Amino acid sequence: MNNIATQRIKREFKEVIKSEELAKCSIKVDLVGDSYTELKGEVAGPPDTPYEGGTFFLEIKVPETYPFNPPKVRFMTKIWHPNISSVTGAICLDILKDQWAAAMTLRTVLLSLQALMAAAEPDDPQDAVVAKQYKEFPEIFAKTASHWTNVYAGGPKKNIEFDSKIQRLIDMGIERDHACAALSSYNWDLERATEQLFS
Amino acid sequence: MGFDIVRFVGEVDEEILCPICTGVLQDPVQAPVCEHAFCKGCILEWLLRQSTCPVDRLSVNVLQLRPVPRILKNLLNRLYIICENNTYGCQRVVKLDILDNHLAECEFNPKRPFPCEQGCGLIIPKDEHKDHNCVKELRELVHKQQQKINEMQQDMVNYRYEMTGIKEEMRVLKGYVRALRVCNPSVRAVTDDIERDEIERWSSSLPEARVTRWGGMISTPDDYLQNNIKQALIESGCPAHILDDLVKNCHERNWPSGLSSLETRQHNRRHYDRYICKRVPGKQAVIVLPCDNIMVSDDMMAEPGLIMIFAHGIE
Repeated sequence: MNNIATQRIKREFKEVIKSEELAKCSIKVDLVGDSYTELKGEVAGPPDTPYEGGTFFLEIKVPETYPFNPPKVRFMTKIWHPNISSVTGAICLDILKDQWAAAMTLRTVLLSLQALMAAAEPDDPQDAVVAKQYKEFPEIFAKTASHWTNVYAGGPKKNIEFDSKIQRLIDMGIERDHACAALSSYNWDLERATEQLFS
Repeated sequence: MGFDIVRFVGEVDEEILCPICTGVLQDPVQAPVCEHAFCKGCILEWLLRQSTCPVDRLSVNVLQLRPVPRILKNLLNRLYIICENNTYGCQRVVKLDILDNHLAECEFNPKRPFPCEQGCGLIIPKDEHKDHNCVKELRELVHKQQQKINEMQQDMVNYRYEMTGIKEEMRVLKGYVRALRVCNPSVRAVTDDIERDEIERWSSSLPEARVTRWGGMISTPDDYLQNNIKQALIESGCPAHILDDLVKNCHERNWPSGLSSLETRQHNRRHYDRYICKRVPGKQAVIVLPCDNIMVSDDMMAEPGLIMIFAHGIE
């Protein structure tokens, strides 16, 4: 990796460690290996959102050309959000694409992601299924997102009804993640989810 | 890219860091409206990708970049920095504004060019001395030179061959022209026309000259001076068929009766100002051509023209 990228990442790494957000446990960065080209980010689900109480891990890849090009960031923790792919974790956020500016840092990126979790942009979706649910059935969306937070990000809110539906599908021989995704996509309509899974 | 902050002695203010590389500003420039400052290298690299300020995304392009205020330059220049050859043993800590001077002469710079002391005398970076092998390097040098010589020899053979061809063609052409002249007298008139045109074209390409001191005339130039003038004429594009005669006419023994001696020249002095003179480029000398001076009488003019050399006074 060239000097400028390494110098930047080292400093940004320190910046996050010293930041007040870290002290409040809301963001964190760890090195993966010792090359500074790959890092692991961590953001806490923002309060008063379905993600509250969850911890979300991010894969951060720093390109050779950093900071002239943005870092490549992806959610490693599964999340139910209109601008984040429920399948791959890919993020649709302008500053990670054409609105990147060289003075932005890992810290500002993580804080922007946290803000994105608190304020979704359903009209510019990364996951069309989630965005549709967000717009048409906001209550179901909130419950689903909260349930995903519980299952994948260690969130506190258990949903007994959803769990039992998932269990029904598991009993039919479906993998847990597939069952959860199918039910979430069909607004927890067990019949339609089953139909889709066995078609 | 800016200087790594760890190289500085004492506190470094956040304000003098480049937001792109996060180093201390090197060769700083600033955006026009928002006045955010960056290392020149960093911002140029960024503007290749996007025409915005990297901090606030206001529109910026390369031409709008401005130098930073003197006060910022002064603040930067006042910082003390450890020499970048510190790892090679340089203990110097210098002010930022003299860093370049120091680096140019820093003895610890591993890339500093240094002549080989084992005898070959080649100048090579210091860090390459230990792997340096005089015989090997010189051999490569000789090899390269040999290649160059071979190329030049090949070129020479080609030129010689072309020259022989051209000479042969010339001989044939001359033969034709001679034969044509013999059987058709009007051909002579045609060649005369062509030659006259050629002189007029050359004359109009030369700058006009004014002689301010006719007294400075050198009427008996030596061979060296004559040769000197000849070279200048060749370079100015003087038609070959008048070159030799023209050069001869820079000496008073070939001048017309009105100019041939000091007495006649004194006598005809008042006519001098009627001459339309052209400058011999780069020389204190003028050319007086018949085609430019139709009104001048025969005793003041010679074919194919006059050259007058002066010690000074040509404008």
